[in-house]
Parts: sequence; structure tokens; C-alpha cells
Amino acid sequence: MSHSKARSRTLTELEIRSGSAGEVAFEFLQARTRRHFLRSLGGGLGTLFLGTMASKFAPSVKAAGADTTALDFSRDASTPLSELPPQFPAKVRRVIYLHMAGAPSQLELFEHKPELKKLDGQDCPASFLAGKRFAFISGVPKLLASQYAFHQAGQSGQWISDRLPHLDKCVDDICFIKSMRTDQFNHAPAQLLVQTGNPRLGYPSFGSWVVYGLGTENQNLPGFIVLLSGGKTPDGGKQLWSSGFLPSVYQGVQCRSHGEPVLYLDNPPGVSRSLRRSMLDTIGEIDQQTYATFGNPETVTRIAQYEMAFRMQMDATDAMDIRKEPASVHARYGSKPGEATFANNCLVARRLAERGVRFIQLYHWGWDSHGADAKEALNLGFNDRCREVDQPTAALLSDLKSRGLLEDTLVVWGGEFGRTPMRENRGGQEMKYVGRDHNPGAFTIWLAGGGVKAGISHGETDEMGYEIVKDPVEIRDLHATMLYLLGFDHHKLNFRFQGLEQKLTSVKPARVVAEILA
Amino acid sequence: MNLPNQASRQGSDVSATAPNREGMLNQFRSAFVMLGCMLVVILLVVLLPPDGNERADWLQFIGRFHPLVVHFPIALFLLVPILELVGRRDRFAYLRLSVNFVLGLATLGATAALILGWCLARSGGYSGRLITQHMWGGVVLSIICWVCWLMRTRQRELGTAYAVVLALGVALVTWTGYRGAQLSLGPNHLTEHMPPVLRTLLRVEPGRATAVTADPNTFYGARIQPILSARCITCHGEDKHKGSLRLDSYRALMRGGKDGPIIQAENTQASELFRRITLPASHDDFMPKGKQPLSAEQMKLIELWIAAGASETLAVNAVKNAPSGSAMAAEMTFHEVDPTTVTKLRSPIAALVSQLQEQFPNILDYDSRSSADLRLNGSILGSRFRDGDLEAFAPIAEQIVVADLSRTAITDHSAAIMARMKRLRVLRLMDTHLTDATLLRLDSLNQLESLDVYGTPITPTVLPAIAKLPRLSHFYAGQTGIQPGKSVPEDLVGKLVF
Repeated sequence: MSHSKARSRTLTELEIRSGSAGEVAFEFLQARTRRHFLRSLGGGLGTLFLGTMASKFAPSVKAAGADTTALDFSRDASTPLSELPPQFPAKVRRVIYLHMAGAPSQLELFEHKPELKKLDGQDCPASFLAGKRFAFISGVPKLLASQYAFHQAGQSGQWISDRLPHLDKCVDDICFIKSMRTDQFNHAPAQLLVQTGNPRLGYPSFGSWVVYGLGTENQNLPGFIVLLSGGKTPDGGKQLWSSGFLPSVYQGVQCRSHGEPVLYLDNPPGVSRSLRRSMLDTIGEIDQQTYATFGNPETVTRIAQYEMAFRMQMDATDAMDIRKEPASVHARYGSKPGEATFANNCLVARRLAERGVRFIQLYHWGWDSHGADAKEALNLGFNDRCREVDQPTAALLSDLKSRGLLEDTLVVWGGEFGRTPMRENRGGQEMKYVGRDHNPGAFTIWLAGGGVKAGISHGETDEMGYEIVKDPVEIRDLHATMLYLLGFDHHKLNFRFQGLEQKLTSVKPARVVAEILA
Repeated sequence: MNLPNQASRQGSDVSATAPNREGMLNQFRSAFVMLGCMLVVILLVVLLPPDGNERADWLQFIGRFHPLVVHFPIALFLLVPILELVGRRDRFAYLRLSVNFVLGLATLGATAALILGWCLARSGGYSGRLITQHMWGGVVLSIICWVCWLMRTRQRELGTAYAVVLALGVALVTWTGYRGAQLSLGPNHLTEHMPPVLRTLLRVEPGRATAVTADPNTFYGARIQPILSARCITCHGEDKHKGSLRLDSYRALMRGGKDGPIIQAENTQASELFRRITLPASHDDFMPKGKQPLSAEQMKLIELWIAAGASETLAVNAVKNAPSGSAMAAEMTFHEVDPTTVTKLRSPIAALVSQLQEQFPNILDYDSRSSADLRLNGSILGSRFRDGDLEAFAPIAEQIVVADLSRTAITDHSAAIMARMKRLRVLRLMDTHLTDATLLRLDSLNQLESLDVYGTPITPTVLPAIAKLPRLSHFYAGQTGIQPGKSVPEDLVGKLVF
């Protein structure tokens, strides 16, 4: 008795000391749910019966409950990013997502509303306010006309404001979705919803899902790269490119926008490439032993990361080095090597797309035009933001197009929600600068590239640009559509976690927006 | 079934030796009471059949218990043949003692279910073929129950007749139950979610409720009938005509329902159909009842059609400002990937492909999980990829549908292999040293849709040959000897991208 007690104590101590073994056991228990228990109960009895009858039935008797149409995403543990074909032939091979953090005003950029102009400065009708929550608007705000002039552009004659003179030339390649809708009205959760399909923390980002499902073409570069254009980190933080419950090898790799793209990628002085190699081999051997003992998949992730860093030493520096581009290209993008700008990142994005990086995510910042200060005023800071993104975005689109890459690349541009047709009146007072509050009810996102109709607008808002009157598109619908373009049924790109087949589009039914597919 | 009736054998000293008139009458009384009940119901069914009108709350409230109650007599009745059959074995002979009791309960239950069923059918706005069949099935079944019970309790010897009636009852329970389920769950509820494998095995068509096909060149046929078919005819179609209304043909639509016509040509406001579909979903008269409202575009189409005269022959493009129909685009359906078919497709090349994948990691893969088409991406290796490497892919050249050889070191020597890739859809040769010689040899690529020679020393000499590629839609010729606008063959106008 006392002997076994002593033994059990040592076991517990052992488990505490070797944290990872405990972790694995813990994760195993976490992953086992009531559903597993019930399933093994029924399935177990069923299979017992089937086992005795198997010879009489067809040669292959599948275990009860096994989904025969589930897609297999397993790979060799040493090459977790290796390419996998899409479920069905795909129009799109890679994604460049340009996220305008802070939510740009659709009414100053893409939504031409002449009726709103007529009512500028009038009290907002009570029907606009009933049952609505705003971040800052209180009392009865005034309606606010677009601050900038609109005109029709391109052969498709789509409306666009004079703030985007370069993008103006690209409208015939663009598909505007003017009826985007979200259910989040604060930046961080809304950004999370756009990027992970869920407003809460802990879910894999879009890029992670894509790299999990398709791997990446170039094994010498990360499959999912994130670039920030200086300024402020998006409110959603690094969670926006996290891999959530997917193996962490699928998380976005944030590269620095100036200086070395990835810190400590160069060998320190006195360490040659061959010395680095033999060091990694030894570490790899030890890690393999650790993995053999505890079976924690994160150990394999670590080995793979070391190996990728080794390969990246050559390729990443080259891919990110925009000094290699001729002056004429810099002139078109408005990029200046050595700065942390959106323009530089757009140029890098094109270089990464050429090199077979699967998912390239750019964040711009400062679009939260409340009008609380000059920087975020529609009549001041907003202009700067437009200037910062207009030219490089247009250059990226035309560059991709002339190189033939736009036909299998999907470019997405948009924020996390829209802005109100009412002028913000923080504390019920007229403010010094002009601004608009958050509007989750309607906003504009545009797509360009493979498989998407070019030169069209999908969906409509009312005459004030306040609510959607035609073809609303939920974030999950956008996700389902993008996954469809990448070659997946959004139900089938899933990962078993906590007893559920988790997926990007979460649990509510999502619809592929067939109307915008070319 | 010529077995002695055990129940009566037990009470043999009473009923066999001294048949008592009084006792007989007593015994038959309950049977007659039940028969009386049934006759009343049959009278109701004949005189007051379900006619598609909705009626008083009480009747409907009671009627709603029909689906609940109906399962008891079904189960009880189906128990009878089991008891009889199993009871034939001596070990289980005692089971047959319960048969009379179970049958009695089943008869009572059937009668109750029949009354409730009539209440529901009469008050719930049902009419149509399905409800009539289900109803008469129920009536006959109740009678069969009663007859079985009578035979079982009155006859000493259970003859073949009893077995036949019982078997008939079992068949009728199945049929009537199926009809009832069709009423509540839809006409093809059993096969709706049948896996495709079984479907092909049993040759079951994926059936849907359909309408009489109207001329697709008319506005009615192209835009209105599809809406009605999708949203209305489950309740107002061939199998159910709630409110005596059918919407599965133009004639039926114009005839209207129990309250008269539902469409007044050129008068949207007076058209009952339009009024009901545009009500708030919480309104009592809202249609489709209990379902998602029609989309704004569908309402608009119906509104425009009525305003334009609600004609059957109006041409499809005669209505101005009609929503474009883009929103009517079909919902995306996803192809199921059948792994065995794909394996079979791939079997001739599978060994070769995996050998090449081993030799050249990451540059060759299947285009998708559902095909044996291949895509080759030599651009990943850049200048390390040479003519000799491309040579290795020659045996599978015809399976390659996308080839990206941008920035590789291949030369015009590779033209022959590229010309063998007859199924190529996309060929990328960006930033290579290939010249006109290669492009002039690609005339065999009659599937080619996209050709990319950005940044190569190509000259306008190739343009006539390129213009002959039948499926080509994009020719990317930026940073080459080709200039925009100069000497471009007519076939290439709009396809050249700079």
C-alpha cells in the first residue's frame, strides 16, 4: 500500500517536472469530449457487430461514423508546409489582402449618394437611430454629405471619388461589394471577424487556413507573410494572423518593413553556413528524441521552423530587398527603400507573389475617421491615408496584371466595417473636425483578380448609404466565396478541435456569392 | 393460422357450452360502440371533406394532436403479427394471451387518431391528392383494426381470413404512414438525403417539387414561375393545395383560391398575392407562412409583372427596370470528390508522378484533388531549372494543364516539349531567354487560354502565329519587342496585355 502510494507520488512529480508530457496528456483530455464518449459507445457496439458480419458484406466495411468524403490534410511531419492540391480546380492560387485598419469611409471613396448631399447638415431622421448602438454618436446627429466629389470612371462607369486618382484607372479590373455587413462595431472584434471568421480570440486567421489547406509553393519562404506599414499595429493585434488551434507552423510570419525583414536571420560574425548547418542537425536530432518520447506536434513545428529559417537566410533577404527594383518601378509605386510604408509593402507583395508565397497580408492604419483630431479627420488625415494607399495599390494591380499574375491572384481591399452617413457628434457637441462614426450595417470591400467579375458592383445601400437594400454579403459569405475561388467547399476545409469540425466560416450558414464569380 | 384461440379456450366453460344471449350482447356492445364511432367519422369524412379552408381554433388545436396520437395505434397494430408469430412457439405461447388486449387498444387508438386526423385535415387548410389518400387509408385501416379485433375475440378457430386481413392491415399501415410523412416532411423526404452512392445503385432520381413548365422566353416563364416553384408550391402545388390555391401553373395562379382571384392585373395593391408576400413576417396573413420572406428582388419582379398586366405571354425583356437576374444566380454546388474514381484516373501516371515529385520536390502536383491534371511550376527553382530538367517531364507532358517556367534557364531547345503539352491552359514564360523560335512552335496548343512572355526578347513576328491559337484570351507581352497598337492582328485585339 505504502509502496504504491510512493510510486504514484513520484509519477506525479515526474509529470510536473516534465511539463510537455503533462501538456500532451492535458491536451488529449481536452480534446476528448462527451461527443467522443457517446460516439465510441454507439460506434463501438456497432463495429463489434459489423466486425462479426464483415465477411458477409462488401469487402471494405468502414468504421461507423467515419466521414468518407473528409479531406486529408496530413503531411510528413518534417514538411508541414508542402503543397496540397485544392479540392477542385481553382481559379486563384494566392491572395494579397490589403486590410485598411480603422475602417475607411465608403462614403468618401466608393459610395456616391446624391440624396445625402441634398440633406447635408439636416437633423438625422429618428428612424435611423431607433434601436441602434453607436460608438460615439449621441443625441440627434446631423447628416453629412460626402466631403469629396465623385465621378464615373473606366469603361464600366463605376463611381469613385477624386481621392483615388490612380485607382481610378483600375476600376475596370475591380469588383466592388457595396453591401458588406458585419455584426461587430468595435475595431478589434470586427478585425478579428474579418480575419479569423470569429470576433473572439483563439481562431485561426484566413491566411492560416489557406496555408493549412494548400501549403505553399516556395518552401524557402513562409507561406503566410504579414507586413505592417509603420504607424499603429491594428487593434486586433497579432491575433489577426495567429494560427489559433491549427498547428502553429501555419501562423502568419510578420516581417519587418524596414531594415532586415526578419531579425537575426543573418549568421552572427564567425559562424559559417556549414557550421550553422551542423548545429541545426544536432538540435534536430535532440528534438527528434524529444518528439519520440512525448509526441508533442509542436516539437515538429519547432524543427520545421529552424529548417525554414535556414533556407530563408538566402531567399527572404532577396525577396524583401526592393533596392533591386529599377527606379521606374519605384516611381510607379511611390516607394522609397528603407522606409516603413504601404508603398514599399505593395512592391514587396508583388515580389512575394512572384516567388510563390501563398498569402500576403498588408495592414495599413489610421482610417478611423471620427474627426476627434486632425489626424483622423475626414477633411485632413483622411487625405493623407488616401495618398498613402492610392498610388501603390493601383501600381500593384497593374503590375500583377501586366505580368499575368492577376489571373490567379486574388487582391482584396477593405476595412472591418463602414462609417455612418451622420456626422459624429461626440458628447452631443459639434466637433472641430469632420468625422463619421462606425457603421457595421454597410460597408464596401473590393476584390480584383482570378475568378472574379471585373468592373462590376455587387449589392446596394439605401440613398443615404446607411443600410443595405440589396444583396447583403456577410463576412462569412465573403470567406466562403474566397475559399471557393481557392478551390474549396468551405465546409470541407476543416480541422477537428474540441469535438467539432471547426471551419473558417464558423457555424452559421455561409453562402458563396455566385453573382460575382466570373 | 389454424391454431385454437387460446383466449377463448381458457374461458371455454362459459362461452363454449352455454351461449348466453345477454352475454353475447354485452360482448358485442363495445364492438358496436366502436363501429358507431367509426361510422360517424366516415360520415364526417364524406360529408365534410378537407377543402383547403382554415377553420376554428378549437378544431385545429385538437387536430394538431393527430401526429402525436397516431403513432400509438401504428405501433400497437404492428405488434399484433409479431405476438401472433412468436407466440406460435411453445416457449412464447403466453404472448398470444395479450393479443386481444393489444388489438383492442389499437382499434381504440386508430379511431381516436382518425377523429383527430379529420379535425386537422378539415381545419388546417389541407386539400389535394396526398391528404385524400392518407385520409382514406386511415379510414380503411380503422375498419381493418376493428374487423381483426372482432375476428380475434369472437372466433374460436383463427382462419386464413384473419391472417389475410392482418397482412392487409400491415401493408396499409405502411402505405398510410408513408403518405402522412410525405404530408408533413415533404413528398420525397425518404430519398432527399440519400447518399449519391445509394442513389445510383437504386436508380433514384433526385426528385424535386416541380411546376408545369412555362415558356422560358416569356417574363412569366423565365422570372415569375421560378420564384413560385422555389418558394410556394410545396404548400400550393400538386400535392397540397392550402387555401384551395395552386401556384404550379399560370392558369391555376390566375384562378386563385377559396377567396377568389389573388392577382388583379395592373393593380399591385389590390392583388392579394402581392399584399401577402410583402407583409411583415409576423402578420397572420404573411406568406410563405413560417418561412423566410421572399427576397427584395423577387418581390420587385412580382410587382413589376403584375403592374405590367400579369400576362402569360409578355416577352422576357419587355419589362423595364427588372432586376438584372444576376441575383437569381444558382447557389453554388460543390462537387463531391470520389476518391476511387480519381485514383483510377491517376493510375496510368501515378507512379511516374510520385517519382518526379521525389526528384523535383514542390514543382509538380495535381491541379486538384478531383482530377489527374497536373501543374508544373519550374519558376520556384529559378535559374536552377534547365532544359534537361524539363526533359524529365516529357512522359507526362499531355497531363500538364498549367506550366509556369518563368525565370528559369530554359532555352529554345525546350520548345519541342512545350509543344507536346497539348492540354495546356496556361503557359508562363516570364523573364526567360526564349525567343520567337519557341513561340512559333506552339501552334499545337489548341487549349491554351493564357500565354505570358513578359520580359522576353519576343518580337512582333510571332503575332500572326499567336493569333491562330483558338482558345487564347490573354497574351501578356509587356517588356518585349511588341509595342501596344502597332501591327496587331485583328484576332489579338483585346487579348494583348501590356
